[in-house]
Amino acid sequence: MDSDSFRKSTVEIRIARKAFAGSKGSLLALKDILLAIDPGEFVCVVGGSGCGKTTLLRIIAGLETEYEGAVFLDGKQVIGTGLDRGVVFQEHRLLSWLTAHDNIGFGLAGLPSEERSRDIRHYISLVGLDKFEYEYPHQLSGGMSQRVAIARALAGRPEVLLLDEPFASLDALTRMRMQQEILRIWEAERTTVVLVTHDIEEAVYLADRVVIMSPQPGTIRNVLPVCLPRPRDRTDREFVRVRKSVHDELFAPGCMAPLAAYNF
Amino acid sequence: MSTAEQNRRLMWKGATAETTAKPPDKIGPVLIPDQFLGWIIPVSVLLVWELFARLGMLPPNWLPAPTVVGRTIYQLAVAGDLWKHAGITIARVAMGFLLGAGAGTLFGGLTGYLPVARKLLDPSLQALRSVPSIAWVPLFLLWLGIQETSKITLIALGAFFPVYLNLSVAVRHVDPKLLEVGKLYRLSSFQMVRRLVLPAALPEYIVGLRSGLGLAWMFVVAAELLGASSGIGYLMVDGEMTGRAAVILASVILFAVFGKVTDWMMTAIGRRLLGHRAR
Repeated sequence: MDSDSFRKSTVEIRIARKAFAGSKGSLLALKDILLAIDPGEFVCVVGGSGCGKTTLLRIIAGLETEYEGAVFLDGKQVIGTGLDRGVVFQEHRLLSWLTAHDNIGFGLAGLPSEERSRDIRHYISLVGLDKFEYEYPHQLSGGMSQRVAIARALAGRPEVLLLDEPFASLDALTRMRMQQEILRIWEAERTTVVLVTHDIEEAVYLADRVVIMSPQPGTIRNVLPVCLPRPRDRTDREFVRVRKSVHDELFAPGCMAPLAAYNF
Repeated sequence: MSTAEQNRRLMWKGATAETTAKPPDKIGPVLIPDQFLGWIIPVSVLLVWELFARLGMLPPNWLPAPTVVGRTIYQLAVAGDLWKHAGITIARVAMGFLLGAGAGTLFGGLTGYLPVARKLLDPSLQALRSVPSIAWVPLFLLWLGIQETSKITLIALGAFFPVYLNLSVAVRHVDPKLLEVGKLYRLSSFQMVRRLVLPAALPEYIVGLRSGLGLAWMFVVAAELLGASSGIGYLMVDGEMTGRAAVILASVILFAVFGKVTDWMMTAIGRRLLGHRAR
């Protein structure tokens, strides 16, 4: 692709607090979040359930607008959703009445049809689904659906790709293949990526930096750079060591919510 | 594994092997394919009925033979009465259904999409729904006279509720996660409805249209029985007045055929609209 595929952008997140109104008063979901993400960087946010990592991603996406603070993209404050941020959810959220082709083109309605088709074809082959262009979501496997969802998120040519536990509902082998895929796509597109996960290995395998969050209220506990060469080997000693340090940080006292905090 | 268990397993294996080796369904000397099984009872009933009628065991003014009913339909068709009455009935159903389904679509969409509209309208509409619709007939006759207006209003009322209820619930239950996708792409409210809400609610909407059409046919019978000078329902009343059971039965069959054919048409339209999506 031409030079405009080098769309890089700095993301700056400054959230003083984000609370949800509940039946028993308000719940503080995020507090004092300060994070700057470099252009083209791959950042993984790890944390246990309820640490606010998904809320953080939704704030960046513009889906949560009620909070104290601001998010900046290249120094410009972000208000609401926008095509400059592509989002992939845990569920594929494809529209069952559209083919893979039309799902990917969902956000491209404004383009002339020729350009639109060309873009769709580019992204469908980027995620390796050329042969499935005109299949409906129910005809696709979980991994394929998630690829279509990634292609849909990329089709708007976002500067930042936001992924919320995108592989959590896939089986272990498909998940590992998808992790390689997302790296390949990231290297091809060079977008900034923020991926939320509860899988430590996934975070260490993918990220340039791992952001570790702790709950109640959700805060950033630590940010660990992962200075391992790519492609990374999950069984490599250095890899295991980094994984362990993330693990230790995550399970340090106060980093996981006590079980009693969850309403079973 | 004990020997007893082993033996049991062997027996099991033997048993399954034996049954699968046999050709299936060779029970009697006559082989009837499954799809004809459903025809056995109606065809037998018709034959027995015809036989009894021909033997004079059924009074013809009470239950005429099937062939007599068939001949009656033929005669009505030749005389032109059939087309006249059927045409009027179909026109009434079409008018009433269009009005009722149209109103149902409008109110269903509105109450489904806008919580305010639902809070404002739904309790009243639900209260109206609890009145058996036929109970409105005297009022409609009083207000609107015995002409077409009262009939069409009654049919429209019948078609309204299933369309309204199905669409309202379907729109309300559109997955908010899908709506969020629309939000990500900054769709306007209008685009949101057209590109997400309507397609997502379409299957339930079509179900509503089908039952609305069914009720429209039910209510045209009621309307025509209660005071009409034309239509298939009038044929029925006329048959009753003149003691011609064959005409009544012929009308019943015509209603069944028209109801079924229009339902097929609606289903076919629905299938086209839904395309290949999973259901």
